[in-house]
Amino acid sequence: MRLMRASEIIKRPVVTMRGDDIAQVKDIVYAAHGGAVGGFTLAGRGMFAGPMKLGLSWHAVVALGADAVMISDESALEATSVVFDAAVTGRGGGDVIGSQVLTDSGVDLGLVIDVIIAASETVGGQCDVVGYEIEASEALGTKGTKLLIPLPDTIAASAEHLMVPASARDFVSHDLAGFGAAVTAFRAQLDGAV
Amino acid sequence: MRFSEATGRQVVATSTADTVGRVDDFVVDPRRRAVVALSLKRTDGGDTLLWTDILAFGSDAVTVTSGDKIVDAAPAIIALSGKEHRLIGKRVLTAGGDDIGTVDDVEFDADTGTITSLLLPQGDVAGARLVGVGSYAVVVRPK
Repeated sequence: MRLMRASEIIKRPVVTMRGDDIAQVKDIVYAAHGGAVGGFTLAGRGMFAGPMKLGLSWHAVVALGADAVMISDESALEATSVVFDAAVTGRGGGDVIGSQVLTDSGVDLGLVIDVIIAASETVGGQCDVVGYEIEASEALGTKGTKLLIPLPDTIAASAEHLMVPASARDFVSHDLAGFGAAVTAFRAQLDGAV
Repeated sequence: MRFSEATGRQVVATSTADTVGRVDDFVVDPRRRAVVALSLKRTDGGDTLLWTDILAFGSDAVTVTSGDKIVDAAPAIIALSGKEHRLIGKRVLTAGGDDIGTVDDVEFDADTGTITSLLLPQGDVAGARLVGVGSYAVVVRPK
């Protein structure tokens, strides 16, 4: 598993195994009601800059690295509509930015400023949404600081609010380095509580 | 032998002892992980010498039987030539999508043309890991 901020993936080049950059990531298409990355919309690069009619489904991604999205070849791209249909977009994607995170006990934890995803490092694996980066509220003691908050497998979301279990606040992290362990611990704790 | 030391080397015909060209660039087929041809300059005829037409890649000269081994590049060679397919100076990406540096030089086997390693400031990458050489990057398999 490899953690990264969704905002870091935007503009990352899409590179074939032959070493050609044939597109760059324009935006992320979320699937499973915002719980996973379904794929990407793309933009052209260099002299072909601008939106493209082709997109990239997550299943066609060979690897999502720190510096490039790797695909086998051009045939991995599909019509953007296919990528959207397959994802059956739910809420919880890029449009969560600015939403308020509320615990199920009614405490405001802060506003979402980024989405944290975990890309599987094996081909065919999932690309999960595992947390949000939030601008913390007073409830977390350090108003205005950026914190990472883990998410359960599924969350309830409305136009303004994202509901998380109250225990999520016990698993906040300050950086991505320690966040993977926090997500695992948080989800294990939730499973145990059921 | 390295690309840097072999560039500029004279190509000499054994039949006439004439210098028939100089090594300008290397045409690499990433699938075979080998040099398949040399691009030459200062020739009378074409600009391409196929690896299979080289008699010997010596420390002071590349020998060929005669100057007529130097030909115009065939489409398959052209497809592997040019800036897009050059290794030197290009960024190296792993198949996992991580940038691991830039190719400073390339080491090859002077007998077979096989690429033995890519030399990066961050360390050498075995030639056997080479996957592709494209417009954006050299792609290598993870260790």
